[in-house]
Amino acid sequence: MSRVWLPCGDYHQRYAEDQGWWQTNVIKGKMILLLLIVFVVFPLVLDEYWIGVANMVGYTILGALGVQLLIGYAGLITLGHAAFIAVGAYTSTLLILKFPWPQLILDWGLAFPISILVAAIVAGLWSVLFGLPSARVKGFYLILTTMAAQFITVDFILTQYVSKIGGRGQAFSLPPGTIKIGPWVIDTDLKVYFVMITLLALTVMIMANLLRSRVGRAWIAIRDNDIAAETLGINIIWYKLLNFFVAGFIGGIAGAFWVSNCAALSPEHFSWFLSLWLVGVILIGGAGIEGAIFGSIFMVVVMELLQMVAIPLSEYWPKIMFSFAFVKEMAFGLAICAFLIYEPRGLSYRWWQVKNYFNLWPFSY
Amino acid sequence: MTLTTGIMVGGIYALVALGWVLIYKCSGVLNLAMGELTLIGAYVTLSFYAMGIPFVLSILCTLVIGIVLGILVERIFLDRLIGEPILAVIMVTVGLSFFLKGLVGFIWGTDTRVFEPAIFSLKPFTIGFLKISIVYFWSFVLAIVLFLVFVAFFKYTRWGLSMQATADDETAALSLGVSARFVYAASWAIAFMAAGVGGALLGNINGVNISIGYLGLLVLPAVVLGGLNSVPGAIVGGITIGVLQNFAGTYLDAFFPGGVKEIFPFAFMAVFLLFKPYGLWGWIKIERM
Repeated sequence: MSRVWLPCGDYHQRYAEDQGWWQTNVIKGKMILLLLIVFVVFPLVLDEYWIGVANMVGYTILGALGVQLLIGYAGLITLGHAAFIAVGAYTSTLLILKFPWPQLILDWGLAFPISILVAAIVAGLWSVLFGLPSARVKGFYLILTTMAAQFITVDFILTQYVSKIGGRGQAFSLPPGTIKIGPWVIDTDLKVYFVMITLLALTVMIMANLLRSRVGRAWIAIRDNDIAAETLGINIIWYKLLNFFVAGFIGGIAGAFWVSNCAALSPEHFSWFLSLWLVGVILIGGAGIEGAIFGSIFMVVVMELLQMVAIPLSEYWPKIMFSFAFVKEMAFGLAICAFLIYEPRGLSYRWWQVKNYFNLWPFSY
Repeated sequence: MTLTTGIMVGGIYALVALGWVLIYKCSGVLNLAMGELTLIGAYVTLSFYAMGIPFVLSILCTLVIGIVLGILVERIFLDRLIGEPILAVIMVTVGLSFFLKGLVGFIWGTDTRVFEPAIFSLKPFTIGFLKISIVYFWSFVLAIVLFLVFVAFFKYTRWGLSMQATADDETAALSLGVSARFVYAASWAIAFMAAGVGGALLGNINGVNISIGYLGLLVLPAVVLGGLNSVPGAIVGGITIGVLQNFAGTYLDAFFPGGVKEIFPFAFMAVFLLFKPYGLWGWIKIERM
């Protein structure tokens, strides 16, 4: 069954077309337009501030995609994804700072791209380690083990041990010029934006391709009913661990990107709040890859708007700005509750409804 | 000393864990906001105490506020989600925890506050060969007394019995005229009360700040250890976690310097889940297609 509504009178003639990404020319045109907008128009139009916001959105999307893969496609509820992002970020930083790179690679600017790849793989393996209990437990108990992953990784290993490498105590900072891709030094927000959008496009492509393959269908079967999936001959332990690996892999990419965005990192960037934030993002966003994207855009932009509202308000009530972090937490908590109660299918469902409405517009049946 | 301190702190964890278990037994809600409930309790008690009200009366006032907040929270958020998937319900409690934590931080700020003048002194006294701090001792006594009161309420009063009935079989209880909505509200009220008092007692020991919420999260290892729906499990789990935590702080710290005390209960829980996922006395769910 195809996933899009074809125009009246159009039929697929081969099975491959059913699985196609861009099934009609209109969709292909729309997607090319979207790519043009994010790659060309945004960098030209947006000013420095909004490019920064866009980078935050990109980071959130990269993180949320991994969570979406775990929760949305395999039903493995995780509340510890920040741990895997943190592992990615720290691996990448330590590789850049401490690894004795050959001069050739430094000259060609390959250190950072290689470190992204290694960070992703290390984060994926770390994720598999904490995914092992999923062979035996699920639901609430799995939530607890992922929480344990969060506390053990970030609050213990990273804070107490990894942060002390090099005797710096708390935070790592990368000297300017160390993050380099090919001939370009990543130093302005605009260049970070291009890194982000490229990584994002690649990740979405990998993930979407996985999801329409045998692997993705196995994950969905496990999510819908794991016992039934097992009777169908799906090796559920293998596929669950694979899911953890891919989710951790994407998390590692997100972490490595965070390094290029921030040029400094400390364990506080990866607190439990981030894990819950990412889950909240996909709850608000709804199902599918587009759910992660909508949720991230919504949450980050809403928080920015909240800050814009708070600045004039703080003249009358200075406490708002002073403890803005708490206002943000309250707003986030309320947003999750409100979405779950009033809009449990999330933003992507509304998007789907709007698309359906305009699909046959103005001549609906 | 390590052992007794562990048991004393564990008594408080047991009290908070009781609140958690009650909610799960009665309404099937897996509550991740327990840490924030303890946080709120600590700050409310502190505020009353700072107004000059005696400590025991402040605790009573906290109980009343706990009832009100518990019923409000249940009515506004949880009541609409009965029958929704587990992730939705858990995430509502997570949203709730953010909201409450933000609220507490917004009202009371981030500085550590202490009960002034101090209610119990930290000076140790000796029973036989045991040395116990006075503050730990009284906290433990108060926690156990409240624990027993809640258990007695659960066992011997009409309301408590109706809660037990709902926990056992909701449909049967409904057909016998038990109001399930009342039971849900009551279980949340009790959880708020238990967690609130637990928070106040923990605040007595270390001073009140945001990290009390983290201590409240330690009920999760405790209830996993005891079994999610077992009241005796709550007390055993709570005390075991308290003891383990203190032993880890004393003995393991030499090998793994740093925050091993905070992390050990969770690490223990992760390993424990591998071997006995339903806890010591939890109901084992057998799944069929």
